[in-house]
Amino acid sequence: MTTAILEARDLTKSYGNRVVVDHLDLSCRRGTVLGLLGPNGAGKTTTLRMLYGFVPPDEGTIYYGGRRFSENRAEAKRMIGVSTQDDSLDYDFTVAQNLLIYASYFRPRVENLEGRVAELLEHFDLTPYADASPHVLSGGYVRRLLIARSIVHRPSVLFLDEPTTGLDPSARLDVWELIDGMRADGLGIVLTTHYMDEAERLSDELLVIHEGRDVVHGEPHRVIDSVLGDHVIIVPRAEPAREAIAAWLRDRGAEQVATVLGELRVPVSKEDLAALTARFGEATWQVRPPNLDDLFIALARRNGRST
Amino acid sequence: MSAVRSLTAVANWRSWAVFRRNALVYLRNWRTAVIPPAMEPVIFFLAFGIGFGGFIEDLDYRGTMINYATYIAPGLIAYTGFGTPYYEALYSAYVRMFYQKTWDGILATQVELPSVVWGEILWGAVRGMVNISIVALVITVFDLLGVVDVRLEFLVFMPMLGFIAGCAFASFALIFTAVVPAIDHMNYPVFLIGWPVSLVSNTFFPVEPQSAALRALMQLNPVYQLAECARGLLVLGNPGSHLLGLLGSTALFLVPCTLLSVRLTRRRVLGD
Repeated sequence: MTTAILEARDLTKSYGNRVVVDHLDLSCRRGTVLGLLGPNGAGKTTTLRMLYGFVPPDEGTIYYGGRRFSENRAEAKRMIGVSTQDDSLDYDFTVAQNLLIYASYFRPRVENLEGRVAELLEHFDLTPYADASPHVLSGGYVRRLLIARSIVHRPSVLFLDEPTTGLDPSARLDVWELIDGMRADGLGIVLTTHYMDEAERLSDELLVIHEGRDVVHGEPHRVIDSVLGDHVIIVPRAEPAREAIAAWLRDRGAEQVATVLGELRVPVSKEDLAALTARFGEATWQVRPPNLDDLFIALARRNGRST
Repeated sequence: MSAVRSLTAVANWRSWAVFRRNALVYLRNWRTAVIPPAMEPVIFFLAFGIGFGGFIEDLDYRGTMINYATYIAPGLIAYTGFGTPYYEALYSAYVRMFYQKTWDGILATQVELPSVVWGEILWGAVRGMVNISIVALVITVFDLLGVVDVRLEFLVFMPMLGFIAGCAFASFALIFTAVVPAIDHMNYPVFLIGWPVSLVSNTFFPVEPQSAALRALMQLNPVYQLAECARGLLVLGNPGSHLLGLLGSTALFLVPCTLLSVRLTRRRVLGD
């Protein structure tokens, strides 16, 4: 177990009377991806803004490399790379110049900058566009450039805020590969995303927050198991026994009976699945392993939101 | 303490990194950035100096008779020294902040917000210097043509005077940049402040208010001080008390406006 390159303890932030982040702990180790998840308004953005240093926490402490952020701000900001959700590329410059100008905002200066820029252009498949304006890039390549720019100064921690939002499936997979590669290179990555498959596949650890609080955290499969159990059954809208199955499951203590577009989705244990098969052998349903979509639906219901 | 940090950020490499970024963009587009500022004073001299000025008798400026074109030559310096940083910090900075998200990208680095504000102030002031240099060249040409009669050796000081006052004008403009909800609302600082101030500051005609309070208020106006400082140097070779007035009024504007700009920009950009 390597030590955390980023650690935050007891982070709290309020705006007026509203507590947006409520005594939140998190950590990220080198060579791992921490998936930070939560529904809209959960406090993800405020958490990130505190970690970037945009806003100070009301309470709590942030450490980068074991040193307090508030006391070693310049050194800590040299250690972090940020790829925001919004496109903040500098369209007054070419693709290569974007990397060069961004590097000028860091001290100590990036060693062998020309070589570093060439390396990044090559690695992110941007070399053919080096002298072009970012205007000519597709959405996927804009995202590549944003990520390349955020690591031009060789940070230790990289924040990726919804890095694949708006990308087509092929471009998403390309970005996944890049994230996987950066993790292999030893970067600690904090990833926020609304795509549950993305979080599940890329994250070594998950932190799910709701109303600014840690709802559940840990390795993805443990997080899912701890909330949902072994299986999810899906009963189609057209199944005549649908309501009877739902009632039967509720009687057996199932709390998370969700309806999605008329389908019934219920997490069940092995024992419940065996009993269900015996009781409703004539009915039609599907069984699959639970995923983060199910987790989100379950957590939303647990916290009183409709699905 | 944070006020001191905000003010001393001017000497920080981060502020100059932001300045450098803006300067590099300017240099890439230097043709379009140079020709319009060169045409503006030419048009002013032709329209007001020669055209309108033909109907105006010579004026008594601190005991020296000068023609109207000579009177407005320093006025053009002040007008340019005010307008360039003011509009740069209004429109260009707003575009960088709001539309291009350039500040968001910069703030995700080691550069802190006070440095972004200072980078914009310094850049606005240097753009003022550049445009004043262009105006000075035009004045030189019109002097050689006999249209105006100024002491050319003092023209070299004009860009530096413009830089000093330009810092105040840019910091003042950034307050509006931080608060206007949309770019259309820039009409308020442009038409309700920019135009009136640039006209009632002894730029194109002398303003001599009867009220002592208004006269005192004029002394606090850096545009007026810049115009009179430039006029004193270019006509008489002596700025009189206006050099001190320029430094004092600039400081009076620059310090509170910079602190307020940082505060308001922090709220707008960082949400804090």
